[in-house]
Amino acid sequence: MSSHLRTTMEVCSSDGFNFNVTLREFGCEQCLLSRPDGSSSFIQGDTSVLAAMYGPAEVKVSKEIYDRATLEVVIQTKVGLPSVKERLQEQCVRETCEASLLSSLHPRSSLTLILQVLHNDGSLLSCFLNAACMAFMDAGLPMSCLFCGVTCAIARDGQVITDPTATQEKESRALLTFAIDSTEQKVMMSSTKGSFSVHELQECIAISQKASEKIFQFYRESVQRRYSKTL
Amino acid sequence: MESCLKDQIGAVLLPGDVFTFIKTETISLTDTSKAEKIICGPGLRRNGDDVVVCKSGVLRHKHPNLYWVDSQQRRYVPVKGESVIGIITTKSGDVFKVDVGGSEQASLSYLAFEGATKRNRPNVQVGDLVYAQFLIANKDMEPELVCIDSSGRANGLGVFGAGGLLFKVSLGLVRRLLAPQNEIVKDLEKLYPCELVVGMNGRLWARAATVQKTLIVANLLESSENMTAQQRRTLFKRVADGNL
Amino acid sequence: MRDTPLSNCERDFLLKAIEEKKRLDGRQTYDYRNIKITFGTDYGCCFVDLGKTRVMAQVSCELVTPKESRPNEGIMFFNLELSPMASPAFELGRSSELLVKLNRQLERCLRNSKCIDTESLCVVSGEKVWQIRVDVHMLNHDGNLMDATSIAAIAALSHFKRPDVGIQGDEVTVYSPEERDPIALSIYHMPICVSFSFFQQGTYLLVDPCEREERVMDGLLMIAMNKHREICSIQSSGGIMLLKEQVLRCSKIASVKVSEITDLITKALENDKKARKEGRKCGFAESMPQERITALKTYETSVEMTDLTKQASDIVESAHARAEIALSPVLPAPGMGQVGTGLQNAWGLEDEDDEDDDDDEDGDEPEVTIVAEKRGNKEKRERPVVIISDSEEEEVVILNPESS
Repeated sequence: MSSHLRTTMEVCSSDGFNFNVTLREFGCEQCLLSRPDGSSSFIQGDTSVLAAMYGPAEVKVSKEIYDRATLEVVIQTKVGLPSVKERLQEQCVRETCEASLLSSLHPRSSLTLILQVLHNDGSLLSCFLNAACMAFMDAGLPMSCLFCGVTCAIARDGQVITDPTATQEKESRALLTFAIDSTEQKVMMSSTKGSFSVHELQECIAISQKASEKIFQFYRESVQRRYSKTL
Repeated sequence: MESCLKDQIGAVLLPGDVFTFIKTETISLTDTSKAEKIICGPGLRRNGDDVVVCKSGVLRHKHPNLYWVDSQQRRYVPVKGESVIGIITTKSGDVFKVDVGGSEQASLSYLAFEGATKRNRPNVQVGDLVYAQFLIANKDMEPELVCIDSSGRANGLGVFGAGGLLFKVSLGLVRRLLAPQNEIVKDLEKLYPCELVVGMNGRLWARAATVQKTLIVANLLESSENMTAQQRRTLFKRVADGNL
Repeated sequence: MRDTPLSNCERDFLLKAIEEKKRLDGRQTYDYRNIKITFGTDYGCCFVDLGKTRVMAQVSCELVTPKESRPNEGIMFFNLELSPMASPAFELGRSSELLVKLNRQLERCLRNSKCIDTESLCVVSGEKVWQIRVDVHMLNHDGNLMDATSIAAIAALSHFKRPDVGIQGDEVTVYSPEERDPIALSIYHMPICVSFSFFQQGTYLLVDPCEREERVMDGLLMIAMNKHREICSIQSSGGIMLLKEQVLRCSKIASVKVSEITDLITKALENDKKARKEGRKCGFAESMPQERITALKTYETSVEMTDLTKQASDIVESAHARAEIALSPVLPAPGMGQVGTGLQNAWGLEDEDDEDDDDDEDGDEPEVTIVAEKRGNKEKRERPVVIISDSEEEEVVILNPESS
């Protein structure tokens, strides 16, 4: 594609907070693997994640739920075995997905979501959430709303950075990730690290809600592009 | 509400999009208000007074008031009345277990074949293909297949004979193939004489005179999934000219 | 999750087609599918597409103590994972026969063939050596995982650069990539695995079987060879009897294929090196095909931020206002249950209440008591948090919340 422009918008508020709210460039591809029922890859700057989903498929009797589908999330890192950190991220992603999927339409079946890290340059959890949502849409699972993930980092001087890179994350005082839904822009899941004030938390939530509009717009454009060919 | 649905026919919708019943028009004292009835097909759900989209795809309309979302999907969910191609996996007692590609294996009783009695069992082995119809298919019960229709006749259902190739395509292509007077089947007819069975679970079975022709038919159908009509016609023409 | 079973019809058709020398996708008997090799952003990351089979390899290194039997040599560690993404039949954590076979073959192909100079990985003899770890993940299984794995592993090893090390006397300094340029591994030769599948008791053979062909095959012969026509490893599985001529014929075919694939890898490495030198961005993001309608990319975007601080401050203030309405919170200690809403004790114990109120701040009651607010007390005194607990500890200190 043509040159990548960098546009930043600095908004100075009366409190003296400086917002540097840009989102890195996005990229998304759907239906790239032939075996899974739904697959997608999501790219935020240099961070890229591959998501694949199988379902509704057969479930083991020990894991079946009588009135809902059983959702399993597996996160695979590039190097080494998965640790507690990956389990926590799996939990966050699973809770968000269960809130938005209409799993009561497929009782006693299993939905398996596998996320593979391709490159980690910051904002990994929000990239997982975005890739998961696109994989669900590709598989045609019934959902009550879409969701997206936004990461905010609070630097040591109080500046809020959205979609931080790995170096920005390391130098920040606090890191907050929110999952926002598409119908009412409410927070579905939050995962934070570090210390911050209540005011900063509310600001980050408000920033994430605004940023999520851009991400949902991107979802819409990519799905429109996919169905653009008249077959 | 029907007007706002009508505006969106052919537009791409995402899960979470809502069509609300907005009373914007002033109530006229002379005209009587009509109750609108809208039939929601796959992809649309009713949520109180609103219609909510739950799958991503293109909104389609069939006269007079049927609306649905056309989405590209690979996984099959059993629906009552649909005919599918299944693979027999086990024979246990009086019932065959059939894999249809859904979340559960369907059951097929051995009495559900034409002319089958307790003494005269059908000749079906594990690994055979059957073309059957769903008698029971809902989310709460185990799906059940039959190979006869309500009058007891086979009517095209039953076990497959030898030969032919089974391959898998997406559900959207299968729906396009089953549409009456569709172009893909017409183009295929002009190419070679061949037998084609279309299962709504995304499985197709094809048989032509030679192995080579069968392979060509299978590859053509698999690749016509993502081609426009023009590209498909050029491909079929190239094949017809190349292979005599 | 179970994979779809293979029907008799497919099996018979495939075998009949192979007898007529026809393959499902129109290839010839000795043809490989399209191979595409791309590299990731950091050194040592490689993606290989063999037709629809997709595999990713990542190489990393760390300093460890060497094995006692070989104090001068570095260590190579291989980890192959059958991700559940690749096929519904693969389950996480289940060590299947296929996984063990692939792991063993990869180790034999790369470690036992001594394609990497392990002595150059030694930093301090007997104390510190580099351990090179190769992780291979299967992304999509459409047959012939072994070939794709070996190509990805050797390409990733050739692409990898380890950090530079400086030794001054007893001190060892590891320089970061910003301080000093990292060094590539010294690779003697590139062993590549070629798979041959046999059908009808060894009568027919196919190179690079796809997934359906793998299901109906009788046996598999894997030959690992490098472009100097040296065989690094041979493995035959499935119990088929092969004649000497067949094995020799396969090795001849393998040498042709290996030289083609090695050329492909070297070309891909050169392209990547050129791109990095020119400063262009490399990685999975760049290799995403733009022309497909299933892919979309946007630029960096800014987000409208007007009025946000005011909005945030409003939310915070309204949240604070609510906090004053809370009554004296009554909390059960963790591990303790309560039945009912548990409010006022209506057993007519008004006299006891007065006595208890005096020492309710740090009182220690063995029984469960619910302290009610002192009636008639017009002052707005601080509302303590009262914890109901049946713990037997002597000193119970109740921490009061900060008044907001």
